[in-house]
Amino acid sequence: MIGSIQLHKLERSITNDSHFLATLISCTLIFTIYVNLSTIQSFAIGIIAFVLYFMINAIFLAQAFFEKEDAFSSLMFGVLLLIMLLGFVGWLVMIIHNLDVPMFTMVLLITTTISSLSNRRMKNKSDTR
Amino acid sequence: MTLANQTSKLLRISELLYLLFTALSFYLLIASRTGEAHTVWQVLHPAFNSTLFIATFLLFTIIFTAEKTTHKLLFIISHSILIHSLFSIIFPAGDLSGQQMILGRTRLVFDNAVLHGWTGWRPTMPVSTFVFEMFKGINLQAALSTILARMFSLDLLYVHLFLVPVLWGAFIPVASFLTTKTLGVSENASILSSLLVSVFPYATYFGAISVPNSLGFIFFFYSLYFMLRHLSTNDSKTTYYMVIFSVFSFLSHYLTGIMSFSLLFLTLAFKTYEGEKKPSSINARILLVVSSVVCLSLLPLSFIYMKFFDSTSNAVFTLDKFYELPLQEIVGLFFLGELVHGFDLKTILLIIVGPLLALLSMIYQLYNLRRNPNDKIRIRIYFLFTAFLIILVDYRILKLFMSGLPINEERLWVFSGFIAAPFVALAIFAILSSLKTFVKARSPSTITFAGLKTMSKSDVFRVVSLLLAINILIPVLLGGWITFSLSAAYPHVAPLQTTWYELEAVKYIEENTYEKYNVIGDIWTIFAGEVIVGINNPRAYYFGEQSKIGHDLFVNMSRDPSPRWMLWSMNYTNTKVAYFIVTEPRVGTEEFNEVLSKAKENSLQVYGHPEGFGNGKLYVFSYRKE
Repeated sequence: MIGSIQLHKLERSITNDSHFLATLISCTLIFTIYVNLSTIQSFAIGIIAFVLYFMINAIFLAQAFFEKEDAFSSLMFGVLLLIMLLGFVGWLVMIIHNLDVPMFTMVLLITTTISSLSNRRMKNKSDTR
Repeated sequence: MTLANQTSKLLRISELLYLLFTALSFYLLIASRTGEAHTVWQVLHPAFNSTLFIATFLLFTIIFTAEKTTHKLLFIISHSILIHSLFSIIFPAGDLSGQQMILGRTRLVFDNAVLHGWTGWRPTMPVSTFVFEMFKGINLQAALSTILARMFSLDLLYVHLFLVPVLWGAFIPVASFLTTKTLGVSENASILSSLLVSVFPYATYFGAISVPNSLGFIFFFYSLYFMLRHLSTNDSKTTYYMVIFSVFSFLSHYLTGIMSFSLLFLTLAFKTYEGEKKPSSINARILLVVSSVVCLSLLPLSFIYMKFFDSTSNAVFTLDKFYELPLQEIVGLFFLGELVHGFDLKTILLIIVGPLLALLSMIYQLYNLRRNPNDKIRIRIYFLFTAFLIILVDYRILKLFMSGLPINEERLWVFSGFIAAPFVALAIFAILSSLKTFVKARSPSTITFAGLKTMSKSDVFRVVSLLLAINILIPVLLGGWITFSLSAAYPHVAPLQTTWYELEAVKYIEENTYEKYNVIGDIWTIFAGEVIVGINNPRAYYFGEQSKIGHDLFVNMSRDPSPRWMLWSMNYTNTKVAYFIVTEPRVGTEEFNEVLSKAKENSLQVYGHPEGFGNGKLYVFSYRKE
């Protein structure tokens, strides 16, 4: 029960994204992934960054597009949508040029921007209602 | 202690046991990992089937309790990932199939060896072909695998191997759950359907291999869910999602894409029918039938028109099979398709029992709904029934009336499995509910062991046997069904999978060669090369799987292992070093020994370990351009 409340709180603080804090964390994670990929190449760092990146952006997308669904379905849709978005932006960048490390970082940045802006747009909409 | 507390305690114990047996099953899979086997059944730990059966049985008992839906779904997801990971965990390079070819191409994107994706833009390429190649599912999957591998900072091989098993395991049960829920049934029946997707062997197989078609199936299932929602809502968001998932289904693979769009048009036709049926019922029905026929024809026609984009495509409508095959085989193909060729009765039964049960369940549901024409669910069940029939008819058209198809038409079983799963769950749940009603009607509201003493012997026997049937027999039967279905899903006959020594040799060459090189080898060597360096990589060149030049070079080298063929290959591929790989289990001991002695006669230098790789089962010869 306590765990569920804390998770709910975490979800709320991510979707509130006050002062773009969650978005900034997401950008820091992208920088971490970039540095890890270019120098350290540690799987442990990679997996932690991956989980956090997915959590933040999937919650953004879930809030933006599947707000009315129940919590579990909404999160699952958020994750699926994030995978689709990553795949689509990655596909587009790959077709235009390629997916080397700088381009890959660009893909993550574009995805974060889209997720964050979608979340903010929906939040503004629901605030004005 | 109250009854509720006791039940809760029992539930927690069941859940702990379930987790234990699932973890044990994963452990047994890891323990079965091998670098030299033909099929998973050859090396699978003997206790795996038993632990999987017990885990599945426990999962079914948990499903029928009042546990939270989220928890049940999480348990089902872990179970689903387990049964789709056999290839990826047991074989070091996964299943020797299309998934290794996809990896070979993805590797080039990952290593930045190509621009603009696989088969990117060339000046000689017609624009239509470029567009076709660009939209091929391999590019979407390559992008996704590359991004995930870079995020994890992990080699592409591992991400590629587990991409589909994990995505399928996580998202297909949820899609099945949501789809069944749109039919207005209880949460428990919906949960049941999310586990029952695993009883369809073709679906399990496609969930175990990382190919674009499998990704497409995932998106198809979600597009189907939104289509069902769209039928009884005017929410614009649902329409967008329906289209977006169909587009992604198409980007992943044209088969799933065409199927998604066929059903999307069918959805629109059903929606129009709902709007028009009151003023003019007959016209609306005729329109619906015509639309269904159009939707049905989209898949076969798309294969015919594919030749405008892909010059290698040569699908045609033909009656050849009717002229060439005996009547008995035609009838067999019509009813069972590919299953008539070499499948045993058990496998045939396991493959057809699910769709058959679903068909009966659909007919029963439609029969029940005829008294309730205004029921919202009615249109959804009619839609699914029509979609199911379209897939059945399309399969027969592809099987009997067409030839030269670019894909195996057996893949259509996966679509029918997705549509069938909710109806199988409905049928089983209806049986369970009837049994429960029967028990309730013939027993006091609460039965205690003390209370049993007051009942007559025949009543006690009836009540106890029904309770056993509900709580033990049905979970045992369903657990057994899923476990047996696994044996039909994973092949029992296959060529020798990529071996550890083939991988070791390919890795050794890659790590110790600093110039551009090419490798002459049989198709199995090419598969191993695809896993490590990719296909047609200009820096580390392996000829394509269907390359005639590559094949001829290997045949010539096997007959006459001399530097001249290696020099020729170096000139052809613009490389500095050439390697020739010969493997004993692939060519046979006699030919292997002959090649070795001839190579030594021709003073070809053995590369790497002088005694060969894999305890002498594989030799690498090298030649360097002066």
